[in-house]
Amino acid sequence: MTAVLRLDRGTLTMREVPEVVRHLFTWDARSQSYRAPGRSYREVSELLRGHLVAYRDEAASFEPLELRFARTITPYPHQQEALTAWKRAGRQGTVVLPTGAGKTLVAQLAMQATPRSTLICVPTLDLLHQWYSGLLSAFPDASVGLLGGGSRDETPILVSTYDSAAIHAEELSGRYALIIFDEAHHLPGDFTRAIAELSVAPYRLGLTATPKRSDGRERDLDTLIGPVVYQRRPDELRGDTLADYREVQLMVRLSDHEQQHYQELIETRNRFLAKAGIRLGSLDGWKAFVMQSGSPEGRRAMLAHREARSLAYGTEGKLRVLEELLASHAHDRTLIFTDDNATVYRVSRDFLIPAITHQTPVKERHALLQRFRSGEYRVLVTSRVLNEGVDVPEASVAIVLSGTATEREHIQRLGRILRRAEGKQAVLYEVVTEGTSEERVSQQRRGQWRPAAAPDVAAEVWEQVNASD
Amino acid sequence: MLPTDLLMFRVKAGLVQPRVLNPTPGNRQLTELLIQTFQSSLGRQRAQLEDELKLLEAGRSDYRVLRGLAHILATDHSEFETGSLTDPASVRSRVFELVQAHPPSRLRRGAVLAQVAATLGQTPEEIDRLLYADLPGEQLLTRFEPPEPEALLTRFNLAQAQGMLYRAYSLIITARRNEPARYKQLLKYTKLFGLMVTVEGDADTGFTLTMDGPTSLFGGTTRYGLALAKFLPALLHVTKWDLTAALKPRRDLAWVDPADEEWTFELTSEDGYVSHYPEPKEHDSALESGFEERFHKLGSPWRLEREVDLVPVPGGVIIPDFRLVHPDGRSVLLEIVGYWRPEYLIKKFELLRRSGRTDVIVAVSERLNLERAGVGVQDFGERVLFFKGVLDPKRVLALAEPLLAETGD
Repeated sequence: MTAVLRLDRGTLTMREVPEVVRHLFTWDARSQSYRAPGRSYREVSELLRGHLVAYRDEAASFEPLELRFARTITPYPHQQEALTAWKRAGRQGTVVLPTGAGKTLVAQLAMQATPRSTLICVPTLDLLHQWYSGLLSAFPDASVGLLGGGSRDETPILVSTYDSAAIHAEELSGRYALIIFDEAHHLPGDFTRAIAELSVAPYRLGLTATPKRSDGRERDLDTLIGPVVYQRRPDELRGDTLADYREVQLMVRLSDHEQQHYQELIETRNRFLAKAGIRLGSLDGWKAFVMQSGSPEGRRAMLAHREARSLAYGTEGKLRVLEELLASHAHDRTLIFTDDNATVYRVSRDFLIPAITHQTPVKERHALLQRFRSGEYRVLVTSRVLNEGVDVPEASVAIVLSGTATEREHIQRLGRILRRAEGKQAVLYEVVTEGTSEERVSQQRRGQWRPAAAPDVAAEVWEQVNASD
Repeated sequence: MLPTDLLMFRVKAGLVQPRVLNPTPGNRQLTELLIQTFQSSLGRQRAQLEDELKLLEAGRSDYRVLRGLAHILATDHSEFETGSLTDPASVRSRVFELVQAHPPSRLRRGAVLAQVAATLGQTPEEIDRLLYADLPGEQLLTRFEPPEPEALLTRFNLAQAQGMLYRAYSLIITARRNEPARYKQLLKYTKLFGLMVTVEGDADTGFTLTMDGPTSLFGGTTRYGLALAKFLPALLHVTKWDLTAALKPRRDLAWVDPADEEWTFELTSEDGYVSHYPEPKEHDSALESGFEERFHKLGSPWRLEREVDLVPVPGGVIIPDFRLVHPDGRSVLLEIVGYWRPEYLIKKFELLRRSGRTDVIVAVSERLNLERAGVGVQDFGERVLFFKGVLDPKRVLALAEPLLAETGD
């Protein structure tokens, strides 16, 4: 009797297991059959075919596609190299390229070179729509659909959020031959990794600017997708695809009243930390603080910490700086970043600048981005939603009003303006409050990543910038 | 159900005990206070309601109890809406359009708002308010259906117990003899939530049902924790069981012993939890209820029990419709098949063969075309009974007697 390979909710099952693949399967008494994770599909198939074992494949339901590539664009050398390296690695692996280096084109080339049903996973709704419109124009005749953000399509090319793909991992597991993980460092999370574990997809492409995760689980990408097959740093590409840029750090001071209040809050917090024997400044210290914030005392300390932070981040002084910066870049396309939504909406309300946060309705955010691209809107304010990979062409000024200390965010914010804008040098302003914890955060943010050909990092006091511009 | 950060529990020697709110005067007062707060917030902004809830929280060490209760009220008993005829998005797009002529500045704000207000026939203050009136915090509480204070407490308790299962990677139910028609419902729910069940045991010693999912085979996974949590209210409709779940410890909490490898959560049908899922129906077909009626009219010394027996088979379970208990305690099982498709019957007989049980009588309506449909039942001999229209209990009993003798203890 011919052996049959079946799929059951993200696992492969066989009633009879041919000897050559037996080691990949486990006997399951619950179903009276042999079972293996969906991920093993490629290895199972290769072994069975390699040993000329006759079997019927009822597990995979993906199909070949007619993909006519409507782009006449010539890939940059690094894009072509990335594609070749991925193909050579058996079409399983991760490509590490800085934001703005055209990862999307690499993915589209990979799709064209592997014309099979394809699932694309992205972390945000912005990216969902960006990929969707990008794929529609790259492959006009293909059937492209969305999963997440209110849509639930079942198309041979499907763009999904990580969350939705993980929720529906069982149903999706057999349908796609190629999975593209955009911002692939999101994949190893407890919940999202099931997308890769349950899927039979024999071809997998991961894309990211930095695979690094704070929990160290980037190592799992090797088994979930495949090892890093190609890697370039921003400084290796600058001048090739990316515009030159400079960084300017602006210091603002809290007002006397603000300074006094800030001190009080910090003291409240420190009293608690001293009593609990917690030392901030390390990951463990911070973790301990978060853990202890369940008690009434710890909670008070955490609230004081948050208020102090928001004072440092959202201080009136920064808005004064913002006012000046906006005036001095009266014609440049400008993106403003803040750490929290409350500040985004404060800037939006006070200055009447269009805002995008995760609360912005999908259609509206799409329209806002389009108007920003077309030049109809010149300035946008946003929290972290635009950090990752969303294509915002030709922004030449970025103003970071506040941020967190992670390396990832900084690189991605930099990447945001690392775009050739008609021979113009891009500027990144970082507005930091003097004499607060934010200074350290900013150092940390820069410390972990230094471009080789370092741009001018000028620590100027606000008044001087006014004079120089 | 509750988000993870609102789950409250203790761990004693690896045993997890979720927080339970008893209907004490204090707790009742708290729920009433919350219900009143929601009621008085009708027509007001969500952020205002949240501010008031924060005031209630202040200084309370059990603020998470309050948040949990408020979470249930907000998700299950409330509706929040923008509450404006003018679409905030259109106001925004008007404002942003007008503001583009100049670099953004706080100095020009008033003038722009006034300009938009004039074109829309509203005041600048209204425009200011409308600008982000659709943000969750600015939405209005438009509907609130107050629960009874005690119902809110039981719902809270159930939600806490469900939350314990989020991190479960296996769940074992020991079932004692049950009231009718509950196991079928139970299995329907496990199927609905994509769970797998392994059944072991017999009617006398009790049954063990192990629940997990397909990938559990490759190591404990909490992927099915949410499904198990959703399944719990269905289990509460079944009587007489004990539940044991293995949980992955919460390492993100300071007070948790980092040496803990596994936690256990235990629950029984007598713990006082109340389901909010609808009660399952007693009978799934008129055929069975009709048979039961006729059987009772017969006045036979045999006792008829409904769906109390699980027959474990490799890779599954059969729940016969009836169990016929002889006065001396021995019994025979009866499965009635009304409408059938050939594949269904083939599968049913295949399962019965695999169970190895010879004390199951199968009553099949209409023998017509059985052979032609490819359903071979020769090896079941006397244990298959064909009937037209109604099933006569006398015929069943006539078959049951000799089977008792054969299977005798």
